Amino acid sequence: MQTEFSNREIEFWQVSKRFQLQEGRTLREFVPALLKGRGWTDPFYALRDVTFVIDRGETVGIIGRNGSGKSTTLKLIAGVTAPTEGEVRVEGRVSPLIELGAGFHPDLTGRENVHLNASILGMSGKEIRQQFDNIVNFAELWEFIDTPVKRYSSGMYVRLGFAVAVHSNPEVLLVDEVLSVGDAFFQEKCLAKMHEFQRQGTTIVVVSHSLNLVASFCERAIWLDHGRIVAEGPAAQVVRQYTETVPHAAETTV
Amino acid sequence: MTQAQIAKRQPLRRSSGVLDLAADLLGFWRRRELLWHMTVRHLRGQYKQSVLGYAWAFLNPLSQMLIMSFVFSTILRIDSGYGVPYPLFLFVGLIPWIFFSSALSSGTDSVVNASSLVSKVYFPREVLPTAAVLTKLVDLGFGLLILGSLMVYYGDPPEATAWWLPILFFIHMLFVLGLSYPLAALNLYFHDVRFLVGVVLTLWFYLTPVLYPIDRVPDKYNIIFELNPNSLFINAYRRVLLQGESPGLDRVLLGLAIAVATFLIGYYLFKRMEPGFADRI
Repeated sequence: MQTEFSNREIEFWQVSKRFQLQEGRTLREFVPALLKGRGWTDPFYALRDVTFVIDRGETVGIIGRNGSGKSTTLKLIAGVTAPTEGEVRVEGRVSPLIELGAGFHPDLTGRENVHLNASILGMSGKEIRQQFDNIVNFAELWEFIDTPVKRYSSGMYVRLGFAVAVHSNPEVLLVDEVLSVGDAFFQEKCLAKMHEFQRQGTTIVVVSHSLNLVASFCERAIWLDHGRIVAEGPAAQVVRQYTETVPHAAETTV
Repeated sequence: MTQAQIAKRQPLRRSSGVLDLAADLLGFWRRRELLWHMTVRHLRGQYKQSVLGYAWAFLNPLSQMLIMSFVFSTILRIDSGYGVPYPLFLFVGLIPWIFFSSALSSGTDSVVNASSLVSKVYFPREVLPTAAVLTKLVDLGFGLLILGSLMVYYGDPPEATAWWLPILFFIHMLFVLGLSYPLAALNLYFHDVRFLVGVVLTLWFYLTPVLYPIDRVPDKYNIIFELNPNSLFINAYRRVLLQGESPGLDRVLLGLAIAVATFLIGYYLFKRMEPGFADRI
């Protein structure tokens, strides 16, 4: 927006996300439920009254146990799902590194999938052609670029997906456990790339069970539990608080 | 922060009003490159790992035409009434019908089939059913090639009025797109939709003059065919290809009005349901 200068990249205002568990998928389940009354199951809040702001260029980690609302938060930022209540505002091009290669078509070659995936992430044909060599260099897949991706190993799959996402010139990068896949060498390469993004001023949101990663890589952390914010502040401090409060949390640390 | 500014910043609105339709269509148009990539992806994926590959695009309509010609022309002795051999008469109607029914079924399944993508990254979701329908245009093209050869074989080449075909196909495509959008969205909510589409398509086939000429229909049932847009389109194809007549401007405009209305209503319903897609997967 030109009318107001704002340094805010991501804003959550009193955001709640409600799911109806076990929703009727077929009419046979749905119609009886309808007859019995609307709420046939108790609503489940994945997020409840969550408010936070992430400034441009910040690196923020989101931690919490399974089911605490981390992935829902990422989905809201990615714009894939809409909040039930409250407001989510995101500026800039969001590139999700969530389960890389989700858009890959197994029968198509690596080359064809790069074009398709980059296009899904919002790159123009010109951008794709400019970045193509960089993408394949980064993934180190020149040998296999014309092989259907169904012949790829899971590591190769992830490498190609990561390579496309990091070359899509994102303003907001969403990282969900990607660093736990691939070999140690590639993990290091990814981390180096993410440090580069940090220096360039890209906003990064990391969801990870790896508390070490969050403590060392992120500036700030948000701790979610049962859809609510428990603590928010400097990453190292929040991680310490988390490991002290949640039993066995340190054990999940990679 | 006004509502409009929020909408700009946030790809997914909780619900969209009629006034957002133009903005949505513009956003869709901006992602036409993605639509092209999606369509090519469908096309290349379609016949991969099949020995005969694109030959299937010929074999499917050809085999249907042969067996139907045998049953309805040789056994039941239906006269086409257009002064052309029955296989030719049948094929002019069958090719667009196959396009319609295959586009509608694959459009209906398109969003469900891409569920892993839909739950991970945002892009205008109408790209999926639109790409599915566009893919079937290629099969339609192959069908027309067979039709052309068949017409030459029977010594009855297409009439000059065949230039109407692209216009008619475009209108027909708008119509099938308009039906595909809400069905693709509903299919996420109720998986029954895909089965329902299968049943409806079978019934619809028999109530559309593909196998028989429209003038064989008793007057009291005419209303069914007047209300059936597919009947309108198929009669128009026959007129321009077999009779060398204009489809009639009033008929074309009526078809266009139906198709545009279906497209806009279907698109609007799709966009209304879109914010909930990822939650239903």
